[in-house]
Amino acid sequence: MKPKVLLSRVGLWSATAAASAALLIGIAPMTAKAVNIPTEVTEDGKNTYKKYCSPCHGEEGKGDGPLARSMLPKPRDFTRGAYKFRTTPSGSLPTDDDIYRTISYGVPNSTMIPWDILTDAQRASVIPVLKSFSEAFGVRKPDPSISVGLEIRPSEKTVAEGKKIYEEKLECWKCHGVEGRGDGPSAAEQEDDFGFPIKPFDFTTGKFKGGNSSSDVYLRFTTGLNGTPMPSFAKELTDEQRWCLTHYVLSLIKPEENKEK
Amino acid sequence: MSGFVGWNVIFPKYILADKDYTEVEVTDGGAIIGNVKYMGDLATLSLNLSGNWELPETSTTAPEKLVVSRINNGLKYAVVSITDITKGKKRATPTIHPIIDQQKNTYIPHVVAILAGTTIDILNGDEELHTVHTCSVKNQPFNLGTTYKQRISEKFDSPEIIKLTCDIHKKTYAWIVILDNPYFDTTDKNGYFEICDIPPGTYKLQVWHEELGKLEKEVTIHPKETSNIEFVYSPN
Ligand code: HEC
Ligand code: HEC
Repeated sequence: MKPKVLLSRVGLWSATAAASAALLIGIAPMTAKAVNIPTEVTEDGKNTYKKYCSPCHGEEGKGDGPLARSMLPKPRDFTRGAYKFRTTPSGSLPTDDDIYRTISYGVPNSTMIPWDILTDAQRASVIPVLKSFSEAFGVRKPDPSISVGLEIRPSEKTVAEGKKIYEEKLECWKCHGVEGRGDGPSAAEQEDDFGFPIKPFDFTTGKFKGGNSSSDVYLRFTTGLNGTPMPSFAKELTDEQRWCLTHYVLSLIKPEENKEK
Repeated sequence: MSGFVGWNVIFPKYILADKDYTEVEVTDGGAIIGNVKYMGDLATLSLNLSGNWELPETSTTAPEKLVVSRINNGLKYAVVSITDITKGKKRATPTIHPIIDQQKNTYIPHVVAILAGTTIDILNGDEELHTVHTCSVKNQPFNLGTTYKQRISEKFDSPEIIKLTCDIHKKTYAWIVILDNPYFDTTDKNGYFEICDIPPGTYKLQVWHEELGKLEKEVTIHPKETSNIEFVYSPN
């Protein structure tokens, strides 16, 4: 099940390792500081949502606001409680901190901007509003977050080990392509749970939607992206293998092709 | 959970009965045996068109959407259940987990009906990557990448009809039908089903099929007697 192209493409890692090392220290994840996230929907939250979020996400959170029509990726439909960027296992609801983080950080490569024009309190106030759109938060609770252990030191060996996992054990290339360009054999037919076409992420761009730090990448393939074809590989990998795969995925970034960043 | 304002109670069509149920000892129970038929034009069915020809693998993994017996028009993979029973035999979940296997890029079996609280083991019998993806609402959904010989155990607690898909092999899918009482059966290849130990009384008996939808009948159970029921789906 291994495409021949792979064999001719050994190495190359050293050039890109420098880039990934830069990323490791570069962007620290913006997790909730001491923000107080209300448990009840407040007037403040409703107003903030209506003013800033509903044009895309819709009055009732169905992702069908007036601006959404010609947009791809579509603004999230909150009614199913399917959130992509989480610290919780596959299928689980997100934690409040997960939602807070996405609102603050935004989603690169989409129209979802980092909402830093809002105050911390305003960003926190919309969280109960988003949750109120889905019955899922009434019947289920988020599972505990996956603990990301200490990162093992990136080296030639961890990258090589990760490459093996990417190409042979878990066959990430079927969707993401051998070079990580999001053009694998199964890429064209992918759609999300809402029936919209979706592209496997192009790792060479380096602008990860869920954040560029190594623990972000570790979490993405460990938790999966709910509501999308991107599965969780939690059952398949040990902690060490996850770091190796993370290092390999980060080594696929091609800084020379993305000069703006 | 506090902080909860007006949920959308949506997706009712995926939810079967959801009522209270009391376990009692059933000593004079009756049984239902029956048959589900599809009276459409069998020549148009995608299935069986291959006859005995050896076809390329992609054709043999055709979806088992509508499997109808040539002998008696019996419909396979229909789920028959009593929807309004409030007391009866023990709700016993199987200690040996029912299995859904992925073989040659196909989920086997295509339909599994279980009692709420049952754990299903989903296997990967192929030497390549599969993903096991559900979009359920009441039961927590999941989407897991699995490799050869992986076994995932998932427990399903709420009545719901769930579709399992694989994002790498788009043609295959399976159904997990979760019911809230133990009175149900899945039809065999000739459309037969059997439900037993039913306390005497009058009940609603329902059949569900992925393509043909639902049919309902009233049935009266007499002590220690067997009622014979036939459901017929006719095209349009
Ligand atoms: C200009 C349109 C637009 C506006 C305005 C907007 N969003 Fe978004 N939002 C999006 C899009 C598009 C996505 C989906 C991105 C993707 O899936 O790649 C998204 C995704 C999200 C997600 C998904 C997180 C996940 O893990 O799946 C959250 C939460 C969210 N938005 C919250 C908000 C909040 C809160 C506001 C208001 C403060 C807001 N958005 C305003 C377009 C918008
Ligand atoms: C069935 C197809 C499929 C397979 C197999 C798959 N992915 Fe994905 N992956 C996707 C899709 C689709 C997305 C993009 C989701 C989106 O944009 O919302 C994605 C997104 C990601 C992201 C998130 C990037 C970001 O924007 O933050 C990471 C990391 C990732 N995949 C890693 C992997 C790894 C590692 C493997 C193999 C272990 C893998 N994927 C296998 C389909 C797949």
